[in-house]
Amino acid sequence: MAKDPNGNQMNIKMDELLKKEKRKNKKAIATLKAYLFLAPFLILFATMVIYPIVLGFKLSLYGQRGARMWYIGFQNFATILQDSRFWEAFRIPLFLLLIQVPLMIFIATLIAFCYERLEKHGGSFFRFIFYLPYTIPGIVTGIIWSYIFSDSMSPFRPALDLMGYVGTKILTRQHLPAILLVIILWAYTGYTAFVIYSSLISIPKEYSEQAQLDGATFWQVAFKIKVPLLKGVFIPLFIFNAIGAIQVFNEPWMLKELVVLPSNYTPAMYIYNSAFAQGRFTYASAMGMILAFLTFLISFGVLRGAAKQMLTDEM
Amino acid sequence: MKRFLAVALVLVLAVTCFAADYYPKYNGKPVTITMWAWTSNENYSIEEFEKVYPNIKVKWENFDVHYEKAQTALSAGSGLPDVLMVEYSFAPQFMELGAFQPINKWLDEKTFIKLYGEAALGWCAADGQIYGTPQDSGALTMFYRKDLFDKYGLTVPKTMDEFIAQAKKFKQVAPANLKFYAAPIGNVQWWIAQVWKAGGKLFDYHDGKWYIHFTNPVATKVFETLGKCFDEGIFDLEMWWNADWFNSLNQGTTAVVENGAWFAEWLKLNAPESEGKWRVAIPAQWDPAKPTNAMLGGSGFYVTSHSKNPEAAALFVNWLNSHPTSLKCLHKYSNLPVMVSTRYEEVLDEVSGSDAFFGGQNIVESLWEAHHLVNTTFVTLPITSNMEESLSLLIQQYVDGKIKRFADILPLWEKEVIKTMKEFGYTNLVTGKLP
Repeated sequence: MAKDPNGNQMNIKMDELLKKEKRKNKKAIATLKAYLFLAPFLILFATMVIYPIVLGFKLSLYGQRGARMWYIGFQNFATILQDSRFWEAFRIPLFLLLIQVPLMIFIATLIAFCYERLEKHGGSFFRFIFYLPYTIPGIVTGIIWSYIFSDSMSPFRPALDLMGYVGTKILTRQHLPAILLVIILWAYTGYTAFVIYSSLISIPKEYSEQAQLDGATFWQVAFKIKVPLLKGVFIPLFIFNAIGAIQVFNEPWMLKELVVLPSNYTPAMYIYNSAFAQGRFTYASAMGMILAFLTFLISFGVLRGAAKQMLTDEM
Repeated sequence: MKRFLAVALVLVLAVTCFAADYYPKYNGKPVTITMWAWTSNENYSIEEFEKVYPNIKVKWENFDVHYEKAQTALSAGSGLPDVLMVEYSFAPQFMELGAFQPINKWLDEKTFIKLYGEAALGWCAADGQIYGTPQDSGALTMFYRKDLFDKYGLTVPKTMDEFIAQAKKFKQVAPANLKFYAAPIGNVQWWIAQVWKAGGKLFDYHDGKWYIHFTNPVATKVFETLGKCFDEGIFDLEMWWNADWFNSLNQGTTAVVENGAWFAEWLKLNAPESEGKWRVAIPAQWDPAKPTNAMLGGSGFYVTSHSKNPEAAALFVNWLNSHPTSLKCLHKYSNLPVMVSTRYEEVLDEVSGSDAFFGGQNIVESLWEAHHLVNTTFVTLPITSNMEESLSLLIQQYVDGKIKRFADILPLWEKEVIKTMKEFGYTNLVTGKLP
């Protein structure tokens, strides 16, 4: 057999084929393993995210009165398009998106640079302290802040009284956006700063050292060299916070104990009230679908914009 | 003597027959029924009930105010307990959604009226179908701080004119941070009760039609008179049921609170620092010649459409809310003014007495009197949560200065309510008049 050149070649071919087969098998096993590792996530994702969305979509196609439901196609969606109460609810998310999110990312960036500056002077302590509010559930945060701004318990009360504002309410509907701003900044800035800081320390030292040799100050290095390099972390941060802004619920929900708020103060509150206070579950589902779609659009838009930007940067 | 004995015998027989009629025997299989109620200590009554009806066991679950949970179960088509506690004003909303089933088979209208009075039909029945039984009374009661009244030399007002005069006097002599009377921003049942107390109503249900007429003469008079006091700063407005309000009750910064009879129990539990300072009285009357009163809250126990044992559930709700043994338990352990049942009279002497929290006053007597002044009733619109929202927003606008005259709220509120009824698909609306 060995003398037969053709046979030899055949053998080599067979060997190659076998090897290929083996490699294929290995690859298949590797893929299987990967899915096995992903399984816990995939199962939870399918049952806790995909399934409720599908079910919610199905519900949104029905009319409802008590336990009675009937198919109405996209009529709920048509009603929502004309439901001014739903669209008015976006004022607060829009305010948060345009004011709170950029402001928070800006403050967090400054704090992250401070962390870097204080590296050898207790930076880890400040990181810990600033991160703490993030670990407190939103509902608890809401309760505590509602007490801080309440009439009878506010620690600001004596100072306000001294300044001549006796009996002036702190917690009013007009002040509420500003109060929400304070609460959300308090809760999330430390966490955001931590995320920015962790990508800040991964920037190679050579960049800043060269600039410093050329005579640049710390803050010049920070804003002219490091901030542009942080783009990769700003984009996901913006998306996460935009989603948070659109779905804002906990903080106004707790504050409404102390100040009269309409049921449609935020989209999430309107959805909740429509479903559980008024029993319009299918209508609420349809609003939920629209909210999810808008969230998706914003994330998608930002990501696509970011990808384009990065491509042009590379060119 | 013989004749007397005979009469006595007949009477005893009649009474026992009567009693047996009220509470029919249970002939079904042994069952366990479930009940959702947010009151405390209903278990004492349940234990007594299970002694009388050994084949029915009751499982009581307490989720605090459970409307959202019930609403969800109702929409899901399953999951409601056999017996559901619901405030009288929310009952029509649940009736409309098909949450309850009729129990006339085990508790007919005649017996119901004998046990609970005719007015209670408006809270527990619709179109001749009885769905449950009433438990506590929400008779409007005036809770006032005796310490503040003594300090500023006020007398307990009997009429609305006297009430306003006392408020004016208080505002002149008391420091600015004290309030005489603070009405709630929102709290729709409180405002409905104010109109009801004057002998009026805002809406009603009759022969398959919903009637809405807020701007009727009585309601207008109430809103004009109270409104003038708000406009002039004699009365105040504040949000109720939040931390600030609880603190104000504990610290005594408000002299008078008008609320349902059940509020006596609430004060004891939630304003312990004010022990001995509160007293109760009949609310100030609009027309002392024709005294009348209103209900604010109070709850019934209804048999739900999801119940598989409506017979057992019906027997239970009737026994729970009218049998003297149960009424005594509810009074003693749950501290509830269970005065809606006519049989409360049988236990009245036993349960009344001086109450240390109210400075030794026999409050049961006053609450009983307040309850007996409730001599009119009507059915609440099935959109209580929406009425609540529109009213709170309007009063808040008044507080913020966007509405100048308080009385202007009434027609604006009516407009909102009619709009919502139409939006919710009610075509059987009659506006501009009442039945």
